[in-house]
Amino acid sequence: MSREVIYEIKNASKRYGSVVALDGASLKLHAGEVVGLVGDNGAGKSTLVKVLSGAHAPDGGQIFLEGKEVSWESPRQALESGVETLYQDSGLAPHLTVSQNVFLGREITVKGILGKLGFLNKKKMEHEAHRDLEAVGIAVPASNRAVSQLSGGQRQAVAIGRAVSWAKKVIILDEPTNHLGARQAGEVLNIIKNAKAKGLGVIFISHTLPHVLEVTDRIVVLRLGRIVKDAPTAEFTGDTLIGTITGTIQTIKVEGD
Amino acid sequence: MTDSKQASAFKEQTPLRAKISSLLSNQSVVLLITLVVLGSFFQWGSDGIFLQTGLLGTVLDEWGSYILLAVGQLFVVITGGIDLSVGSTVSLSSVVAGWFVVQQLQKGADITGDAALPYVLLIAVICLLVGLLVGLLNAFLINKLKIVPFIATLATMGASNGIAVMISVGMPLQGPNDWALGAPWMIGDFQLPVSTMVVATMVITAIAGLFLHKSRFGLYTYSLGSNPFATRGAGISVEKQIVKVYMLSGGLAGLAGAYSYVRLGAGSNTSGMGMELYAIAAVVIGGASLMGGVGRIVGIALGTLVLFVVQSGLLTMTVVQVSPDLKQVIVAILIAAAVAVQTLQKKNGRK
Repeated sequence: MSREVIYEIKNASKRYGSVVALDGASLKLHAGEVVGLVGDNGAGKSTLVKVLSGAHAPDGGQIFLEGKEVSWESPRQALESGVETLYQDSGLAPHLTVSQNVFLGREITVKGILGKLGFLNKKKMEHEAHRDLEAVGIAVPASNRAVSQLSGGQRQAVAIGRAVSWAKKVIILDEPTNHLGARQAGEVLNIIKNAKAKGLGVIFISHTLPHVLEVTDRIVVLRLGRIVKDAPTAEFTGDTLIGTITGTIQTIKVEGD
Repeated sequence: MTDSKQASAFKEQTPLRAKISSLLSNQSVVLLITLVVLGSFFQWGSDGIFLQTGLLGTVLDEWGSYILLAVGQLFVVITGGIDLSVGSTVSLSSVVAGWFVVQQLQKGADITGDAALPYVLLIAVICLLVGLLVGLLNAFLINKLKIVPFIATLATMGASNGIAVMISVGMPLQGPNDWALGAPWMIGDFQLPVSTMVVATMVITAIAGLFLHKSRFGLYTYSLGSNPFATRGAGISVEKQIVKVYMLSGGLAGLAGAYSYVRLGAGSNTSGMGMELYAIAAVVIGGASLMGGVGRIVGIALGTLVLFVVQSGLLTMTVVQVSPDLKQVIVAILIAAAVAVQTLQKKNGRK
């Protein structure tokens, strides 16, 4: 890949008590690239996501954003540096409207003293939420509707749209097509392709292997806390991918392991 | 009838029905209707006494003594928490205010007429600080010791009450009770049903409402109760928001303590007894959900009004004599009815 490396983690390890959740994992993500992160339950996917998103600090290893070493103290810090994460099933606040969700944590306030007191510019946020979601390929219902009134697919689309429209450099999507029907999952995959076209680096974590094979450029397989395979998607078929995940197919050592 | 006629008849019916059902799913509209019905009923049942200004003044005075607690409780309940300590905070802050005034009187301070005003402001500030402190303690227990709000505030409820008893030695701390603040406003000879104190609580309620519904602070309050994970994921400090919300509830409870002190002319360790239950009742009747994420200030203001219209109304009934002891039963019925209505609205909304 000729593009620049946008996000990189080198030799990361993480223990929870005596459990080794991550054991020397290294991963490179290029701008405009979609990397699939797969592995069985307990392989260390969630831990790696938490380390990459700034939720947990690794015990050892380094993280580089655009070549500069970073160490996240909080998810907020990662967000502000342009690394956006969509966690599994925790994306949206159902009682808030679409636009309130899209702007949560980055509200637009009114001008003047009222703005200093935190009074919000609702109209502007509704307008911009609509525009931003449309820009990433989501046909949104009225942005002043409560999220609880949307269907599961619409909710997920809003959650991803929110993440994609805010992400400046990297976006990490944890099981974004979970619980979705075929058509809705297809829409979500389209949004991922849009994000890629925008030049973002995308990390796509999923159990649904056909989705991984369809949308990614490269697949990274985790097993027991170690990265056992890191190869272009074209080198995998459904069967070899499953074999690599479960360990029935012997894996060659990959770079940095 | 032809098909097209049937279709048009159907079309005409649906929007009206939809309009009515959407109106009825608005808690504030339901509460307004309830108030009108109750008001008319009590007016009839009391031989026309109920809507007299004097009695309305009493109802609004009661409303004023509870609304600040209800407003604070609303913020807490929207976050998915609960604050049981507010009643004890009223007692504690009123006792501290009483202690302060007794000290001043012993020093020979003049707390009468216009000279009383600075003292009133001082009392308000002292009570506010006491309340903020209790709120901060609640937030500490919830954030740092990871105690669930119910238990954390139950603990501070006991502690504040204990301290109130220790300061007052179980006796009411008397002060001057001729504060002008509690006197009804007059237009010429006509007496209005509100006093300066009641108007002050209305203003505070309105300001709190603006912040709840229009500001970032309010938005975070809702988002915390709606989905704490998403809130954290959006980079918002859940802990800070909990500190703010419980301090708001405590601070308003402190101000309610000042209200109670000025109203009764004394601070007592029983002045807030059981008030937390009324505050929670008012919030539930007003349409908030104890599961968090739901509730509006107008609903709470009306819910509190319903509570006291019913209580005062029952006592003025001349058609049937109602025992004052029935009050609590009525409150219980109101809570059950409010929750039942909410559940039905939800069911209808889903259809």
